[in-house]
Amino acid sequence: MRGSWKSKLTSSLFVLPYLACFALFLLYPLASGIVLSFQDYDMLGSREFVGLENYRNIFTPVTYIHDQFVRGLTGTFKFVVYSVPFLVIVGLALALLVNALPSRGRGFYRTIFFMPYAISATVMATIWMRVFDTDTGFLNILLDRIGKSGPHIGWLNDTPWVWIALVFCTVWWTVGFNMIIFINGLNEVPEELYEAARLDGANAWHRLIHITLPSIRNISTVVLIMTVIASFNVFAQPFLMTRGGPGYETTVLLMNIFAVAYGQHQGGAASAMAILLGVIMLIISTVIYRLLSGRRG
Amino acid sequence: MKWLHVTLIACLVLVLAACGSGNSGSKSENNSQADSSASSGSSGSSDSSASSGGSGSKGKTELVFWSPFSGPDGPFMKKIVDAYNEQSDSYQVKFQIQPNGDYYKLLDNAFGTKKNMPDLMIMHLDSIPTYVTKDLLQPMDDLAAKAGIQKSDFVDAAVNYATIDGKWWGIPLDIHPLIMYYNKDLFAAAGIEHPPTNREEFLEAAKKLTDPSKGQWGYVMPTLWPQQFIFPSLLYQQGSDLVDESGNPNLNSPEAVEALAFMKSLIFEHKVSPENVAQDGEVKLFLQGKNAIQFNGPWMKDQWDKAGINYGVAPIPVFFDQPGVYGGSHTFVVPKAQTDAVKLEGIGDFLKYVAGHSLDWAESGQAVASKQVLASAEFQALTQQQTEVAKEFDYVHFAPPIPDWGSIVGELWTQINLTLLGKAEPQQALDEAQKKALQAVEAKK
Repeated sequence: MRGSWKSKLTSSLFVLPYLACFALFLLYPLASGIVLSFQDYDMLGSREFVGLENYRNIFTPVTYIHDQFVRGLTGTFKFVVYSVPFLVIVGLALALLVNALPSRGRGFYRTIFFMPYAISATVMATIWMRVFDTDTGFLNILLDRIGKSGPHIGWLNDTPWVWIALVFCTVWWTVGFNMIIFINGLNEVPEELYEAARLDGANAWHRLIHITLPSIRNISTVVLIMTVIASFNVFAQPFLMTRGGPGYETTVLLMNIFAVAYGQHQGGAASAMAILLGVIMLIISTVIYRLLSGRRG
Repeated sequence: MKWLHVTLIACLVLVLAACGSGNSGSKSENNSQADSSASSGSSGSSDSSASSGGSGSKGKTELVFWSPFSGPDGPFMKKIVDAYNEQSDSYQVKFQIQPNGDYYKLLDNAFGTKKNMPDLMIMHLDSIPTYVTKDLLQPMDDLAAKAGIQKSDFVDAAVNYATIDGKWWGIPLDIHPLIMYYNKDLFAAAGIEHPPTNREEFLEAAKKLTDPSKGQWGYVMPTLWPQQFIFPSLLYQQGSDLVDESGNPNLNSPEAVEALAFMKSLIFEHKVSPENVAQDGEVKLFLQGKNAIQFNGPWMKDQWDKAGINYGVAPIPVFFDQPGVYGGSHTFVVPKAQTDAVKLEGIGDFLKYVAGHSLDWAESGQAVASKQVLASAEFQALTQQQTEVAKEFDYVHFAPPIPDWGSIVGELWTQINLTLLGKAEPQQALDEAQKKALQAVEAKK
């Protein structure tokens, strides 16, 4: 048809700026990283091609880099398992709550719950370290006042409290984002479905289970996958607040990749670790997606 | 009208998004939200101009000088640089401050990409072996000789450490060892007249100063930073070190176990410290007047001053057989790539000036490495901290001069952390640290 090549050209031109940024800031570094993982690079100028050696070392149990990788991956896995359920469920709960408010309150509370998302990691860590510190922290002082006896809880250096603190901070900091996406999803559920259900005598709980949840299924999958990916990328909270402690309990993989690159001056090995992490995340995201969207129809 | 709203909101979102893209996590006490290149003392900025009305930078050779002084000490160095630029007709030093937490990443990037290399920079003394091994630095012997700088102008310990294979690689600016801060009010209330000088006095004082019902502690034991300064000090005091004579890690020596056991006993046996101290817990308690003694570095001075604590400074007590303390040092180094003869002369000229005029640096709380300044009447007259710090120069030790020592010894801090949290025993913990250190050494081959 006449003009269709013109409209295709126009569309391509619109995409071009994004494509340029994508290529420059995502494709190029990704390709460089992959190439780097096959080299031995000391971060200071000298590079050498070593093939699969970095990857082999990661899978060989006695090497330094193997321990760094396994410890880090364990910490990251724990964080993902502990944090994702709360991040998704609390996000949904907040969205349901906010949507149930009269329309004036809605905008106000939406903003309040989203605001922590806008602050930087350092600010977030400073605030919550003030709360969770063992002897000067607000939480322990409060617990003392209401009558708790015995030594102070080590929220930042004692298991399992340290995980509770880390997950709590992460939820406070980032759940606003999930909430906003869920609000969008909830808004798209047609009102007629609820009307019909009410006429049939369904109460709020039934409406939630049988109408709301199934209708937001697609968006829930998206939120779940995004949250899993974000949790795999955790770095700031354990690095700033617990320094990976107690011992190496909360040491996450990104911290160790950092240490190998800049502490051990082995950029190639660090890159290999990062690529492996990326592959693991890819596999897990694909599995989740298949499981959740495969059952349709 | 609607477009106005949309545009305003778009701007707000962009601003929030920019703020929300996290930091790289620099430590909170050193943190200023400084950008990667802050103040420069360059062209015609006569903010420190005297009546001579600063000669512009025309005709002067420019020297780019990098430093990690993003904390409250930065302005003191800037004063020195500005004063130098005032009195120099041939050279203009452009002073750039990088964020303390990112300094070595930026430096490594500059070395790696060979772009944006400074002409002169600060490097920590114990990093010099790493960069010398990679052949990235330039010996200072010629430069120093031309400018009339001699090794004997500076504290021996720092000069000796920076001399590798007979060449002198770094001219020291200051030495910052571990020192003892104590709360004078708490001491007076407990009837203790002078700060402790040995183990018995320390234990006695700490116990007198501890009162859990008031939430007051004699000595709060850190479990993370600054153990990197405290633990080695206890080793030096036993005549031992973290490495053996051949430079191999020696983290589970009997002296190391002894040192770790002693620290652990302060928490669980003598109970002068609470358990489960989190990062900076001892600092926070000190600021609240609930911690009577702490060991830290001279850089903490500014925080104590701002909080209005009535604090005293003294060398750390001798817990074992002999005085010994761990320290760091800021050193001037020149990259190997710097071959311009005029610039090298300028660098020498600037460093000669600094050696004679680093009193301003001393006012930031640091004790300088220049013997001339240390001996001067003005230095002696400074507030108590600098002279107390300088007392430790006779027995200060630095980190083992092993390239990438930080990554080799990393596990040690993890195991010390576990032991002081009561989750490990000293011998096993140090054995594990030694095992991992050998593993890291193996990985570097």
